[in-house]
Amino acid sequence: MPKPLQDEVKQSPYERMLQECLSGELRIVNAGLPQSQKRLAALLNEKYPHVVCNDGSTHLFKKSELEYLASIIDTDEQKALPLPMLIELGANQAEAAIICEGKVEEKIISKALNMPVTCEERRIRIYKPQLALLRRKFKTTTVYVFSPKMVA
Amino acid sequence: MPELIKVRPTKIELVKLKRRLSLAQRVQKIVKDRLSILTMEFLQTARDTVEAKRKLLDELSKLYKALSVAAGYHGYIALEKELIATEVDLKVTAGLGNVAGVRIPSFELMGNTKPMRGYNLVDTSSWLDRAAQLSEEWLRAIVELAELQRNFELLAMEINRTKRITNALEYIVIPRLQATIHYLKMKFEERDREEKARLKRVKVLVARG
Repeated sequence: MPKPLQDEVKQSPYERMLQECLSGELRIVNAGLPQSQKRLAALLNEKYPHVVCNDGSTHLFKKSELEYLASIIDTDEQKALPLPMLIELGANQAEAAIICEGKVEEKIISKALNMPVTCEERRIRIYKPQLALLRRKFKTTTVYVFSPKMVA
Repeated sequence: MPELIKVRPTKIELVKLKRRLSLAQRVQKIVKDRLSILTMEFLQTARDTVEAKRKLLDELSKLYKALSVAAGYHGYIALEKELIATEVDLKVTAGLGNVAGVRIPSFELMGNTKPMRGYNLVDTSSWLDRAAQLSEEWLRAIVELAELQRNFELLAMEINRTKRITNALEYIVIPRLQATIHYLKMKFEERDREEKARLKRVKVLVARG
């Protein structure tokens, strides 16, 4: 049995560092989230299409990706599509959810994965292998969100 | 047995430790999720890098062949004269992207879709057109490879760092917190038992007295 520890009150530097590291880790994972999303139609008109992230940095979109997206949806849908698309990761490690506003995301994901998908409670649920496929096609137009709510 | 954290054996400390344990467990889940995403991205980037390298080498060998044929057809001096006109400044857009908290570079060749076509089409042959087309493709491939290669390195470094954090949480932080909580609980139970025994003894003494 280890010795009783009544005398020491102060947290050791190691413990303190560990606490800082843990809280830093929570900050890091969602630092790259955009402050606000932009519509595809607006991004197509920008010289350097980008959004500003929570940590003040910029997230640059590739024009080729935006053009690909524009080619698979019509003009009205381009005005409705918010970018970057948010991929939420939570408690279930085998699944990921794409946060969507309407039918446009559904159409895009269906075309990218070549299979029908449905939006339930503003989420399109996909499996991890499908996520890899999706990320391969939309590298800069999707970002990950780590949801502490879902993890708890 | 994991080492105990140095705390006062009080109920407040126990509550604090329980809070820390719950935070550590939540962070562990997030870090594990992040690690799995980073690994997935890393593997994808590795596959893409291999593919991009193979494509680059293929295109380079095709380009040399096409350029040799064009040089044979036109002669070196004439070819060099024509190619002087093709010199253009290439524009590459460089920015940053974010993959699960890792800042990764993103490069894209900008502007003219046919940057190598500045020569006179009347005086040149289709062999030179072919060489120009292949060199354009090669340029795109080299920009793509530069991006992938850097992403590959950055993701690998981040995976290493995240793995260390996961291991520290799994094998040091959480077991220590659990052991200390367990120790404090035992300590409080022991105190309760002592208190009960003391009260019984006092009761006996009072009854005698």
